[in-house]
Amino acid sequence: MNKRLLSTIAIIIAFLAVAFVITSKPTQQSRTKTYVPTVGILQLVTHPALDEIHRGVVAGLKSQGYSGNKIKIDYQNAQADQSNLKTMSQKFTNENADLAVGIATPAALSLAKTADGSSPVILAGITDPAGSGLVKSTKRPGNNVTGTSGDSPLQQHLGVIKRVAPQAKKLGIIYTTSDHGGEYNAKNMEKIAKKAGYDVKLYTISTTNDMQQVAETMANAVDVVYAPQDNGVASAMKTLINITNKEKIPVIPAVNTMVKDGGIATISVSQYNIGYQAGVMAGRVLKGKDTANYPVKTITDGDMTVNLKQAKLLGIKLPTSMVTEAENKGEVFK
Amino acid sequence: MSMIVSSIGQGLLWAVLGVALFLTFRILNFPDMTVEGSFPLGASTAVTMITHGINPFAATLAAFFVGTIAGLITGLLYTKGKIPILLAGILVMTASLSINLRIMGSANISLLDQKSIFSIKILQHLPKYFDSVFLGFVIIVIITAGLIFFLQTELGQAFIATGDNPNMAQSIGIQTDRMTIMGLMLSNGLIALGGAVIAQNNGYADINMGIGIIVIALASIIIGEVVFGELTLNERLIAVIIGSILYRLVLLVVLRLGFSTNDVNLISAIVLAVAMILPQLRHALKLDKVIKKGVTTHE
Repeated sequence: MNKRLLSTIAIIIAFLAVAFVITSKPTQQSRTKTYVPTVGILQLVTHPALDEIHRGVVAGLKSQGYSGNKIKIDYQNAQADQSNLKTMSQKFTNENADLAVGIATPAALSLAKTADGSSPVILAGITDPAGSGLVKSTKRPGNNVTGTSGDSPLQQHLGVIKRVAPQAKKLGIIYTTSDHGGEYNAKNMEKIAKKAGYDVKLYTISTTNDMQQVAETMANAVDVVYAPQDNGVASAMKTLINITNKEKIPVIPAVNTMVKDGGIATISVSQYNIGYQAGVMAGRVLKGKDTANYPVKTITDGDMTVNLKQAKLLGIKLPTSMVTEAENKGEVFK
Repeated sequence: MSMIVSSIGQGLLWAVLGVALFLTFRILNFPDMTVEGSFPLGASTAVTMITHGINPFAATLAAFFVGTIAGLITGLLYTKGKIPILLAGILVMTASLSINLRIMGSANISLLDQKSIFSIKILQHLPKYFDSVFLGFVIIVIITAGLIFFLQTELGQAFIATGDNPNMAQSIGIQTDRMTIMGLMLSNGLIALGGAVIAQNNGYADINMGIGIIVIALASIIIGEVVFGELTLNERLIAVIIGSILYRLVLLVVLRLGFSTNDVNLISAIVLAVAMILPQLRHALKLDKVIKKGVTTHE
């Protein structure tokens, strides 16, 4: 057999044997007086909303006194490559990170799996933590995982739909099949809108390329469109709006950036706030709070955002109360 | 140190993909894009079955069979439908996206608090990360030994001949279409098996986990070839496994050197490109020597 191949195998086996013996011995960690905790932050991909959450987490930790030389933050971004998530989570474990923060569901899942119950994992803006198996229940997580959930205020969104289009009967909801959060919100919205008496139809895209055709079909069949918090739909918002504008149909999205892209109005949760609250929770856990009984915080209070230019284009007169609310607390696009 | 152990473990687990792709990429001599579909297909099949209470080992084996179906379809499209292989693979890959969603019912299923092939008792007593080293080693040894045995049978020899020279193979009575389909089924079955194993190691199956898989599998094949040079067929299979480990170690070094994680994709592409250019470069250098020699003897 080839010598080089044999010797490489021999080196690997020898290394593993040595590593096996060394790591079998329990290692003692000595904590010095000025102990600087290490926090790993793992983000799935660079994306405006996720970047906001990350910024919030750092600020939240700071509010708990963890900033500058009082903390070591190791920030990793997997750039949507799922095989990286595993490597990066293990890096945290190897650094003996005291706590890890996961931004977006796959990142959180990877951290939770790698930590395997031993060190705390804080979720930042995970839409459905119980449904994705991260926690037993949002009230009592029951293990090493807790954090904040960025649940869309669906009831309030339905309220916005009623105020913007009081006569509408047929509601179209569009989401991306590969986006767990989008699907979750779309299905929940379907339930509550049906209860409220709407004739609801769900439309799905598998990639942004499908948007044109699906939106055309939808625009001809419904009176008003709801776009949940969904990365795919958010990316293809411009395409959606082009088509709905032709049919003069208003779109009520879930987040304020989508209002800027042509939605009429929404009440949106600040991504920064979701991150901030997660940072605060992380700080408290570092100080010794137990994760198992620390309920997941669902952040739903948000501010009104309206797009007056879009309303004018569609010939819709928004209630003055909505506009003043947006002027006072939220955001107005003209 | 344990980081290196972890990389070796990951390398052993991912080596399944390299060995599987070797069957089509090196023996049949074509790139099979189906793998980006059969990988998540195997993952979603196994994870869904496990969450429904089926034994993890049975679920992993089932993933293999589902993968062979994907290979079968690509094979039929290619040999009977006369669709170019690259396109046939891409078609099946695209179609499997919908199939995976049907299987899983959502984009992401987690295995937290569920049994997996990593929860067997012996593995629990091993030090950190040795579970994936141990299980990865067992799996890859079984697969490689099986393949080495298979390639020496009459059927295996016919399969190799099909890749070497289809016209010659046909002239001696080998049904090359059948051999191609069989190769694609075997390869994609193994890729799906790899997907099932890696999903259980990661703790979840995700609809997007197939993206870039072919690059990882290619990397192990090519790094193995560049580092170890001329080898026999059996040795080449082993070199793929070592190549997979080396690729993980390179990624580890890149992360350790403090490169921004944003650049990891670029760097792994560069590593692969350099590894592929290297043989050409060596060739060119050797040629230079020959020319020099020629000149000196003339004098």
